[in-house]
Amino acid sequence: MEQDILTQAEVAQRILSGKTLLLAGDERLLAQLPKGKWIGGTIPYFITPSQGGLSSREKIFVTDISELAVSIEIKAYDENALGQVYCEEGDGGFSVIIIPALSPAHLAFALNAPNYKNFGAKPLVGWVSGVHLDDLGKATPKVFDGLTGESHGQKAVVMRVALAPGRAVDVGIVNIFEQGAGDILTFKEDGFSCHEVAVNGVNENFADYIKRNGLDTKLPLVADYYGVKVNVSFQSVGDSGGEVKFYAPVFSGARYKHARPVENYADAFSAELIKLGLSGDGIAFSCNCILNYLYLGLEGKGTASFVGPITFGEIAYQLLNQTLVYIKAH
Amino acid sequence: MSIPPKTKAQWTDIVTGKKTFELKFLAAKILLGRLVRHVAEDPSADNVLAAVDQLHTLYEKNSASPAVQEDMQNIFG
Repeated sequence: MEQDILTQAEVAQRILSGKTLLLAGDERLLAQLPKGKWIGGTIPYFITPSQGGLSSREKIFVTDISELAVSIEIKAYDENALGQVYCEEGDGGFSVIIIPALSPAHLAFALNAPNYKNFGAKPLVGWVSGVHLDDLGKATPKVFDGLTGESHGQKAVVMRVALAPGRAVDVGIVNIFEQGAGDILTFKEDGFSCHEVAVNGVNENFADYIKRNGLDTKLPLVADYYGVKVNVSFQSVGDSGGEVKFYAPVFSGARYKHARPVENYADAFSAELIKLGLSGDGIAFSCNCILNYLYLGLEGKGTASFVGPITFGEIAYQLLNQTLVYIKAH
Repeated sequence: MSIPPKTKAQWTDIVTGKKTFELKFLAAKILLGRLVRHVAEDPSADNVLAAVDQLHTLYEKNSASPAVQEDMQNIFG
């Protein structure tokens, strides 16, 4: 299962030879690829096998899942149709989803995926496409359906993969962040922003709380979902009495704590792999978060066998932040 | 692998939080993060049954997953 950064010509050759591919790269490169069994999303940041983290507008990251896939289907979903993403026919297999950042599909999936009908009926993994950070506000994230050659800026694209006989997959995450020892934070409503937070049950303005307590907003909020740590990253903190914005929604009822600081990403990542009993064997796909890339300095650094796109959001059944997501093949 | 029937007491024990297991199957952990909270807020028999039904269905639909098989061994022996 090849996972590497390749030239456009090398990717085109693999498509034309019938490979089933998951692609990440600059819009200009993806738009010129031949039709075939692939989906893709825009992003110019990657963790590569040979050079670790790097940014390139000239190469495409390729995850070749041909060995796993006996057949595929590709479908685009708008924000309303996404509610059926777990309801499609067929037993076994898994689905890969790519959603353009800040699109209606992104917002709908982020808020509603945990409550979608038949949640988790099939493994669902993927990522949120983005743009080069120099192009924020100028370019629009896109996703591509390789079968039709169409690109979408508002819809998600999903590849349904029927597994070869005897094969199975598991979806997992590696999250180096732990809940800190601080206050329990809860929110009245689900959403990407808030004014109020309940701190150990007492309401106050969240921006004021963050400033008064000197919270490092490069560290996420962390909720414990039956032993799995789910992050919500900070986007911005308003002035006194103002609004706090997040890159993923907070959910009412969930109990969050601000994350404990991480001294060294490589050490924390290795420790988490050991804790999970996870080796790099059988990793068919992975992606990591742009915030980990930026805040933890992943440029030029590797993450063991876990290579792939650096994304504006990670998806393992639901939207995640500051988390590595992977598919392990058996 | 067959998933034990939803009449088994362990399913109720999980969704009510009476027993906690170290699970491997990620989707179940995410789902339980919500179900256990909802059942704690409303522990009526109907709500418990609905939660068991949802969790059982999730495991049944993913019965080929090695993580699911590990969880079944862990929960039911």
